[in-house]
Amino acid sequence: MTIDTAVSDLVGRGNREGAALFKDWFTELNETAENGGQAAYVFVMGSFNEILKAFDLPVVFPEINSLQTAVRRVAHEYLEEAEDYGYSPDVCGYVKADVATQLRGGEHPMGRIPPPAISVLTNACNTYIKWAEIWERFYDTPTFTIDVPGTRQAGGQTWSGDSDFEADRKYVEVQIRELIKVCEAVTGKKFDIDKFREILTHANTMSRSWKRILELNQATPSVFSALTDGTIFLGVANGFRGTEVGARYFERLVEEMEYKVANGIGTALEEKYRLLFVGVPCYPIFRRFNELFTDWGGTFVNSTYLWFASGGTNRGFEYDLKDPIASLAEGVLVSVRDAMDAMFYQNEALEEMIDDFSVDGVIYHPIKSCRTVSTGLADGRRYLTKDRDIATLFLESDMMDRRVVSEAQMKNRIDAFFEGLASRRRLAGSKG
Amino acid sequence: MTVTTTRVFPEWLNKSLDDALLECREMVESPEFETVARWREGGGLVVGHFQVYFPEEIAHAAGMLPFKMRGAPLEPDQADSHFGSYLCSILKTSLELSVSKRVELDVFFSHPICDAARNLAAIWGRNHDYPSQILYLPQNPNSSGSVDYLRHEYDRARRVIEEIAGREISDDDLQRSVEVFNENRRLMRELYEIKSERPWLIAAEDAYALVALAGMIPREEHNELLSTLLPLVRERTNKKEDRIRLVFEGGFCEQPPFDLVRMLGRTSYVVDDDFLIGLRWITSDVPSEGDPLRSLAEAYIEASSYSPVQHDLRKPKEQMLLERIRESGAEAAILSAAKMCEPGLEEQVAYTHALDEAGISYFVTEFEENMSSFDQLEMQLETFVENLLFA
Amino acid sequence: MAYAAGVDVGSTQTKAVVIDEHRNIVGRSLLDTGANVIKAAESAYVAALKQGGVDEEEVEFVVGTGYGRYRVTFGNTQVTEISCHGRGAVHLFPETRTVVDMGGQDTKAISVSASGEITDFCMNDKCAAGTGRFLGAAAAALDIPLGDLGRVSLQSNRPIKISTTCTVFAESEVLAWIGKGKKIEDILAGVHKSIASRSASLMRRVGVDDQVTFTGGVSRNEGMVKALEDRLGTELNISEDCHYMGALGAALFAHDHVISGRSPATEGAGVSS
Repeated sequence: MTIDTAVSDLVGRGNREGAALFKDWFTELNETAENGGQAAYVFVMGSFNEILKAFDLPVVFPEINSLQTAVRRVAHEYLEEAEDYGYSPDVCGYVKADVATQLRGGEHPMGRIPPPAISVLTNACNTYIKWAEIWERFYDTPTFTIDVPGTRQAGGQTWSGDSDFEADRKYVEVQIRELIKVCEAVTGKKFDIDKFREILTHANTMSRSWKRILELNQATPSVFSALTDGTIFLGVANGFRGTEVGARYFERLVEEMEYKVANGIGTALEEKYRLLFVGVPCYPIFRRFNELFTDWGGTFVNSTYLWFASGGTNRGFEYDLKDPIASLAEGVLVSVRDAMDAMFYQNEALEEMIDDFSVDGVIYHPIKSCRTVSTGLADGRRYLTKDRDIATLFLESDMMDRRVVSEAQMKNRIDAFFEGLASRRRLAGSKG
Repeated sequence: MTVTTTRVFPEWLNKSLDDALLECREMVESPEFETVARWREGGGLVVGHFQVYFPEEIAHAAGMLPFKMRGAPLEPDQADSHFGSYLCSILKTSLELSVSKRVELDVFFSHPICDAARNLAAIWGRNHDYPSQILYLPQNPNSSGSVDYLRHEYDRARRVIEEIAGREISDDDLQRSVEVFNENRRLMRELYEIKSERPWLIAAEDAYALVALAGMIPREEHNELLSTLLPLVRERTNKKEDRIRLVFEGGFCEQPPFDLVRMLGRTSYVVDDDFLIGLRWITSDVPSEGDPLRSLAEAYIEASSYSPVQHDLRKPKEQMLLERIRESGAEAAILSAAKMCEPGLEEQVAYTHALDEAGISYFVTEFEENMSSFDQLEMQLETFVENLLFA
Repeated sequence: MAYAAGVDVGSTQTKAVVIDEHRNIVGRSLLDTGANVIKAAESAYVAALKQGGVDEEEVEFVVGTGYGRYRVTFGNTQVTEISCHGRGAVHLFPETRTVVDMGGQDTKAISVSASGEITDFCMNDKCAAGTGRFLGAAAAALDIPLGDLGRVSLQSNRPIKISTTCTVFAESEVLAWIGKGKKIEDILAGVHKSIASRSASLMRRVGVDDQVTFTGGVSRNEGMVKALEDRLGTELNISEDCHYMGALGAALFAHDHVISGRSPATEGAGVSS
C-alpha cells in the first residue's frame, strides 16, 4: 500500500493506515490460500516473525482470525461447529473458532486462510500447545514449541549475565537454531543472516516506537484509547513485525501521537475518568463495551492487553545486530517473560501505571475462554485494593462467546462503578 | 542424612490385609492430611508441589517431606473468594488446604502444566510468606537443549530447597534418594502389574489409596507399606469375575471423588489408569551413579509416562492411550476430565476420535473432586458396562 | 410537604417507597413485576402514594432503580440498585459496612463507607445458584410454599450436603434426596447452607466488616438469616424494610435532589440513557 504523507490529516491517520494494512495482510493471505500456498501459524506471545519473515513465510495469527469472527459477529457459528466436532463449551473460544475455520477449509469472514506449512509457538500460554497439537493431527505439518521460561517467583526476574538467565538464554538459543533448520527444510531456502539483520532492524524500530506511543498516553487528555485504537495498533504490531512497512507505520504513529499531545487533542470529547484495562477485550460487543465507559467520560489510557498481546514488545527491547541469534534469544526471553508477567505478576506494574498515567479506576475483565489471563485476576485485585486506594471493577464475560456476555448485567455494574467514582471524587473534593 | 525418624502413618502396622487397606483408604480419603501434620510435629519441613510431576528426590535429599498437592474433596470456603468463575476445583481446594491451615508448607512449587496452574504460583505467593515458585518443566523435550536446561532448572530448585532446609544437598544425598525412589518405582510397577494381570486381587479404590499415600508419607514408609502388603495381595484367593476391563483416563491432575473410583471398581476392573500419574511419571530406574540431577532430567525427558499437559512430539497422546489400552488388555475406556480442565477437555476430542477409529468403546464424562451425588453418573456407567457385557 | 420516591423494578418483584422531608418512610408497596414492566412500575408507585396518603403532585423527585430502572417512565433519573441498596442500608443501620442483597435472580455483596458510598461490590455471575431462584426450584421440588422454606429448614439438625451449583439440577438433586428417604427439613437446611456458603464467598470478595445488613426479598427468610449468620459467625442487621431497601435507597437519592436541586452523589447518573 502507499502511505499518505500529508500532515494535514495527521489526527486519526494511525487508525486509517492500520485498518488498511490489516486489510492488505488478509488480502495477501487470501491470495496465498487461493493459489494453494501455505503459511506459518504463530501466536502473539512470541511470534518469531523475525525468523519466519527471513524465509518469506506469510504469517497467520489464529488468535487474530478468531477474534475477528467475534468482531464480525459470526463467532457463534464457528463455536457451534467446533462444539459439534467434540470441543466442550468450557474450552477456549479462540481454539474453537480456529478449529471450525480449519474444518471449513480456511473459510473466514476476512477471506480464505491458508493452511499451515509450519506452526511455531511458545509455552507462554499452555492452550497454544494444545491448539498446535490439533494442527499436528489435522495436517501432519511440523509443530515447533519453543520453551521460554518465565519468572520463577514474584520479583525474581534475572537478567543478562546472571547464570540462571544465561542457562535460559542458551536453551532458547538452541531452540531458535533448531527452528531455523526446520524452516530451511520446510521452505527449501537457506537462512540468510543479512536479511535476518535487516528484519531485526525493522523490529527494533517498531519496539522503540511502540514503547514511546504507550508512554505518550500519559498525557492529559489521553491521545488514544488503549481499548479500541490500541487493538488496531496491535494488529499491525503482530502482523507486520520485522517489516519495513510495519516499522514505518509505527514511526508515523509516534508522529501522530506526539502531535496530539503537543496540541492537547484527546481521544474523548471530555475525559472525566482515566481507566486501566486488565484482561482481554470483549470482542462480541467490542464497540458497545467501550461506549459503556465513554458514555460516562471514562477513557482507557493503558491496558495489560497492549503488553501481553504485543508479546511484551512494549518493553522496547532492541536486538544487538552483532550477535543476532543470541540477542534474539535474549529479547524473546525478556519480552515474552514480560508478557507473562503482565498476566501472572501484574500488580507492581499496575501500581506504576496508576501513578504514571494518573489513573482513577482499574477495570478487570476476566474471560471464561482464557485461564492464562484470567485465573489470577480476582486475587490480584484483592491485593491491589489492599495496597492502593483505587476504585476497581470486576466484570466477567468472554472474548468470543456471546452466551456468557450479558450486556444488561454489565451495564448495571459499570453504571454502579461510575456512580461510586463520582461520589469518591465528590468526597475527595469536599475534603479539600 | 537427617531424615526425621517420625513415623507418620503407623495405623496399618500389624493389621490384616483387609484392615490395613481400610486404614489406607481412610487416610487418603480424609481432607485433613494428618500425615503432614505429624511430620511437622516431628520437626520436619515440607515441600508442597502441585500436580503433576515434581522431582521429589530433591526434596527428599534435603530431609524434607515432598507433599503432593492434589486438592481435596472439601468446600473452598476461604479460597473461593480468591478466584473467578470458570476454574477447576483443585486450584481452589489446594489453596484452601493451606489457608485453612490443614496443610502447612515451607515452600510451594507449581508447574506450567496448564494456564490455571501457573497462575497458582503467583496467587500462592501473595497469600503466603514462604517462597512460591514455578518450576519450568520443558514443553519442548524434543530440543537437544532440553536436558541441559532441565538439569539447570533442577539445580535451581536444589538451591531454593537448600535455603529452606538450611543445609546443603550433596550429590551423595541425591543418589541415596534416587535409590529410595527407584525402589518405590519398582513397587508401584508391581502394583500396576497386579491390577492389569489379576485385577480381581485388588479393588480399584484400594490400589488408588496405595498410590495416593506415596504423595503424603515419606517414601521409606511407602516402600515398607507396599513391600508388606503387595505379597499379601498376591496371596489372596479371590475368584475372577466376569467383568469388563477398563482403562480410566483423566486422573492426572484433579482427582475424581473416592466414591467414583469405588463405583468403577464395583462394576468393572480398572486395569490401568492415569490416577496421580506424576507419582509414577518416571517409568524405569534412574541411574544412581554419576550426576544425579542430570539422570533425573534425562529420565523426565526419555523415560516417562504421558499426560495431556506434557507436550512431546514422540508421544501423541491418543497413540499413548491406545498403547495403554492394548498393553493392559482393556476392552473399553472411561474418558473423564475434571470440570473446567481445559487440557483434559481438549484431549477428550483427540481420544474419542482415535478410539472411534480403532473401534474401541468408551464412555465420556466430567467430574469434580467434591461432587457428592453420583446417581446420574452411576446409572449411565452401569448402562455402558451392561451394554458391553451383553453385546 | 415535599416528598421523594424510589421505585425498584426487580426481576421478580417491583417495590416503591415514598419518604417525607425528614426521610421517614410514609408509604411502601410491593407487587410482582410480571411481563409489563412499565405497568408494574406505575402500579407500585401509585400504590405507595395511596398507602402514604400522598398526592402525586406533592412528590418532587422520583428515582428509578433495579433492572427495569429505565422503564420507570415517570422517574426523573436512574441509579443502579447497587448504589441504592448501599445507601438504604446505611440509612437504616448507620454502622453497616457490608451489604448482602439476595434477590430473585442474583445476589450482590456490597461494601459501603460511613457516608453510604459504595467502595466495592461483587455479584454472582452467569448462574442463579445462591439466589432466591435456587430456593424457588427447591420449593417447587418439595411442593412447599416459598414462604415456609426457612421455617421448615430451621427444624433440621442433620443438614444434607447439596453438591449441585446449578438451579436446573437443584430440583433433581432434591428429588434424589427425597428418594433416599432424607427428611425434608434436612434437605432444606442443606439448600440454605449451600446458598449461604456461596453468598459468604461473594461477601469475602468485598470484605466482611462489621456490621452486615441483609437486604432483598430473601432477607425475609429466617432460615437464610440463620444459615448466613452461622456461616459468617456474625449477627445480621434485619428489618421489615430490608425487602424495600433498593426502593428506599432510590427514594433517598431522590430526596438529595429535593433538598439540593441536584445531588452530586448521583452526578452523571442516567447520562447514558
